[in-house]
Amino acid sequence: MAMRTSVRDAMLAAVPSLRAFAISLSGNVDRADDLVQETLLRAMANINSFQPGTNMSAWLFTILRNLFRSEYRKRRREVEDTDGGYAESLKSHPEQHSRVEFEEFRTALAKLPPDQREALILVGASGFSYEEAAAICDCAVGTIKSRVNRARTRLSELLSIDGADDFGPDHTTRAILSAGGRG
Amino acid sequence: MQTDASTRRTGRLSREDQRRLGDILQRVYDDVVKQGVPDRFRHLLEELENRPEGEQMRSRGSALHGQGGPEGGSESDQVVEARGGINPSNKAPH
Repeated sequence: MAMRTSVRDAMLAAVPSLRAFAISLSGNVDRADDLVQETLLRAMANINSFQPGTNMSAWLFTILRNLFRSEYRKRRREVEDTDGGYAESLKSHPEQHSRVEFEEFRTALAKLPPDQREALILVGASGFSYEEAAAICDCAVGTIKSRVNRARTRLSELLSIDGADDFGPDHTTRAILSAGGRG
Repeated sequence: MQTDASTRRTGRLSREDQRRLGDILQRVYDDVVKQGVPDRFRHLLEELENRPEGEQMRSRGSALHGQGGPEGGSESDQVVEARGGINPSNKAPH
């Protein structure tokens, strides 16, 4: 069965986002690329079950996610390599980002429960709707919304977004405002 | 980063904090996306496209993957078919 060029193009177009998703799931670039490769092979082997006109990207994300979940079950006892994940991916792409901010965020992201992490990535970064994310994760839309909310709250705690409450200028400002008899 | 103390009490993030988190998440994600398509995947798909008809892709996949024998067909089918009702009219993610 020769692959139609349009199918190949659609798959190629999805690869960058698939990699980003895979890295966020596995926390490791090499494992992520293996996941993407396996996803493409599975997709090609089962291309007849893809319905033309439907969302190729969502289909590929579903396959990758399921592959990761089955692999995750097998490797559950292994120590997850979350070091060198995003950091490694950034080495080949030096830009003027705040490296510290990235590192901090990456570490916090890795601490989220897998369910919450994948929901947040799908909705917050991959550009899927709640409905699409629910289909990919095979759960209810409300479940996805709840996971995304919990992920955001947990991330903000881990990143100490609220940390300035006790020590930062925000506290000082509020103290001044409140001393000024506001309200 | 600072925010209102009420956020912690209610457990809900303000719109501003959601935006900040979303921005960082998007940048971290896009940093990988911007790397584009590594050659290995381009070559892989070209190879698969030129494959003669009838060849078994799955066994080929296992060989490429450098791991043991082919996995059970049931698992493979499960992996591929466990997609929900993706609406064709939904926009493709960027």
